[in-house]
Amino acid sequence: MRGLGSTDHKVLARRYLWTGLFMLTFGGLLAMVLRWQLAYPGRPLPGGAALTPHGYTGVFTLHGLTMVFFAISPLLLGAIGTFVTPLLIGAREMAFPKLTRLSYWIYVAAIALLFSSLFARFGTGTAGWTSYPPLSTGLGTPGWGQTAVSLAVLVVALSSLLGAVNLVVTVVRSRAPGMHWMRLPLTVWSLFFASILLVLFTPSLFAATGMVLSDRIFGTRFFLAGAQAVAGGGDPAVYLHLFWLFGHPEVYVLILPAWGLIGDLVAWFSRRPAHWYRATVYAMAAVVALSGLVYAHHLFTAGLSPMLGRAFMALTLIISIPAEILFLNWLLTLWRGSIHLSSPMLAALGGMVVFGLGGITGLPLGAVATDVVLHDTLWVVGHFHLTMAGATFLALCAALYYWFPKMFGCALNERLGQVHVVLSSALFLLVFIGLLVAGYAGQHRRLFDPYQYAFIEHLLPLNKAVSHAAFLLALVQGLLVFNVAQALLRRQPVEANPWRVGTLEWTHGSSALPLVLRGAHELSQPEVERALGRDWIGQAEALPESPDETEALAS
Amino acid sequence: MSPRGPLELGLPFDASTHGALVDALLAENERFDFLLLGLMVALIAFVLVRFGRRHKASPIAETRRSRMLVVAVALGIFVLIDGALLFGSERVMRTWLWNFEAIEANPQTVRIEVNAHQWAWDFRYAGADGAFNSPDDPLSWNEVRIPLGRPVHFQLASTDVIHAFALPNFRVQTEVIPGRIQHVWIEAKALGRFEIACSQHCGASHYKMRGVLEVMAPDDFERWARTASQRAGTAHDPEDPGQRWGWAWRRP
Repeated sequence: MRGLGSTDHKVLARRYLWTGLFMLTFGGLLAMVLRWQLAYPGRPLPGGAALTPHGYTGVFTLHGLTMVFFAISPLLLGAIGTFVTPLLIGAREMAFPKLTRLSYWIYVAAIALLFSSLFARFGTGTAGWTSYPPLSTGLGTPGWGQTAVSLAVLVVALSSLLGAVNLVVTVVRSRAPGMHWMRLPLTVWSLFFASILLVLFTPSLFAATGMVLSDRIFGTRFFLAGAQAVAGGGDPAVYLHLFWLFGHPEVYVLILPAWGLIGDLVAWFSRRPAHWYRATVYAMAAVVALSGLVYAHHLFTAGLSPMLGRAFMALTLIISIPAEILFLNWLLTLWRGSIHLSSPMLAALGGMVVFGLGGITGLPLGAVATDVVLHDTLWVVGHFHLTMAGATFLALCAALYYWFPKMFGCALNERLGQVHVVLSSALFLLVFIGLLVAGYAGQHRRLFDPYQYAFIEHLLPLNKAVSHAAFLLALVQGLLVFNVAQALLRRQPVEANPWRVGTLEWTHGSSALPLVLRGAHELSQPEVERALGRDWIGQAEALPESPDETEALAS
Repeated sequence: MSPRGPLELGLPFDASTHGALVDALLAENERFDFLLLGLMVALIAFVLVRFGRRHKASPIAETRRSRMLVVAVALGIFVLIDGALLFGSERVMRTWLWNFEAIEANPQTVRIEVNAHQWAWDFRYAGADGAFNSPDDPLSWNEVRIPLGRPVHFQLASTDVIHAFALPNFRVQTEVIPGRIQHVWIEAKALGRFEIACSQHCGASHYKMRGVLEVMAPDDFERWARTASQRAGTAHDPEDPGQRWGWAWRRP
């Protein structure tokens, strides 16, 4: 094992990968527990006891926290981002290698804090991943379990923030000569934008969570109101604003890397340039600019003034435009392409469909009248799982299948990967369309036993079907685990540029700095085909000018 | 209301005078979603078949025409779908959801104060004297009665954590935040017993914080309200501070 003190971005990225996958598995198992309860209310878990109402609240709290803070962004930004960014821009390392190391170990410390909460007398945090006060103060969730969980969020947010600063500076300062902004792969742009959002909005999370911790530990009254406010009180609504001012940009942090990856992969595997690259970049920038201006659609039912409500409704609906442009550009990249259905490409296509549906189901949540009906129902849960879980997970699979040869020097089984990705996409759709339907029929979220309500009773068969599909989805992930395990055990060597593309991580072999001459998707260009007899050319590869040079290269 | 079968997956029964507007928006949107999903999948499937490995890829990134297509489709969808949601929603907000002026002036409006707490709903009517927090206020727990066809204005407070008062059959919900008073109003168009749900996680028994809203014929309601006010007056205990959780009615 490399030294624990390593600052090498590739080593740390692989550490992020294993740790992140571990947390993803933990979060996924928690989801299975929730689905078990909703399918078989009151039945003992396999090999254990029945879930209690209190236990249920702990499970959905940990599930949300784990997935949002400890799985998706550490995997997409920490693992993939840290690994590919220097390689894609032609840099030797991240801008601050010691910061990379610090970020990772702070992430590990946060995980330790999170797991420690399981040993508290009253158990782990139970206020939901959103931790609304006063429920998340000592009144609603006594004991040090919730405190440890809130502290863990603070610590992991710090890790993310440091990583984001590192990535932003790396992209700004460490690009190789000739790697102009508009020659960057879309993946780099998306990671860059995601990191800018983290830098801007994580402080809001610090404030919100910090004040909750202060109320819990130091007896302050930022969020204590109502009957508790015996000596002047605070306002829990302030938390809602501060939390969602972070929380909404956070969902773009999670989806942006997926957008960038899909944009690149559809170009590389259609063997043609990305359609209207510039508009894709500007669309992502527009989302970044608007993301902090739409957050209060999470507060439509919290008593916002009508003026604010209308403003946020308009802005939220407007932010759908850049997302539509992204999707259309992906579609038009595929159009007239020469589509190779490799495992990364299938993952990207699956992500496209899952995100496409997820995105449009967000529209009624952005309009006040429809949101007031759907708020806190499973429609919301279906919507954000399609976008934040399905699309991001498929993007992660795409990245893993795509860069596995570079990360580990050996090949995954391509057929196994294709099957895994297609099955996962189909099952993601099945499970979360099921939730959309249940939410439309009125089922609320975070309910230990929704069938208490007569108007929901008839949804038990639907919930059972959703749970069975979810269990199947979990089992299908065994294909990924098996694939990775067998690849790492067999260590079958792989060619230097298995996907035959021009980006620097595959084409730049020497230790000298590359001189970049062109963009990331220069594929199927006639002059390249004439001169070199292939449909791709390295970003830093010189194109021979004369027929003499062509002959010299060919020999 | 008769129980629904497992495949009856539409919105809950609509008992609200104003529900039709919202339901139309939701149904329209659900149709769009299915249509767009179908279109997306069909387009991608077509593209995968038509432009497979054997097809020679076009080297041209984009043309002016293809860019205009992107802009046209994106704006088209925005205007059609987002536009429908925006204007439809605005209509709902203006005529009902965030419009309290009409009902404030209306003498027919029934006013009810709601105290949300872990894990039940307390209801308070003004009683015969028309003032809240007075001895003749009828009080009830988890059950509230309202008349058919008259506006009912709920004012809500919470004493402990954030709850949410949800009336699925009336297409409305509002979070109830300690330290604040929230407002919501409905008008029933159907008699019957409908459920009240708590839709904001508020602790271990959040799932059991269920209430019942009964819609009565207007005359039955008046009769009940009179009797309830009288009984409340006689049952009132001035020594019990727990009964005096009400507050002077606030203007929205």
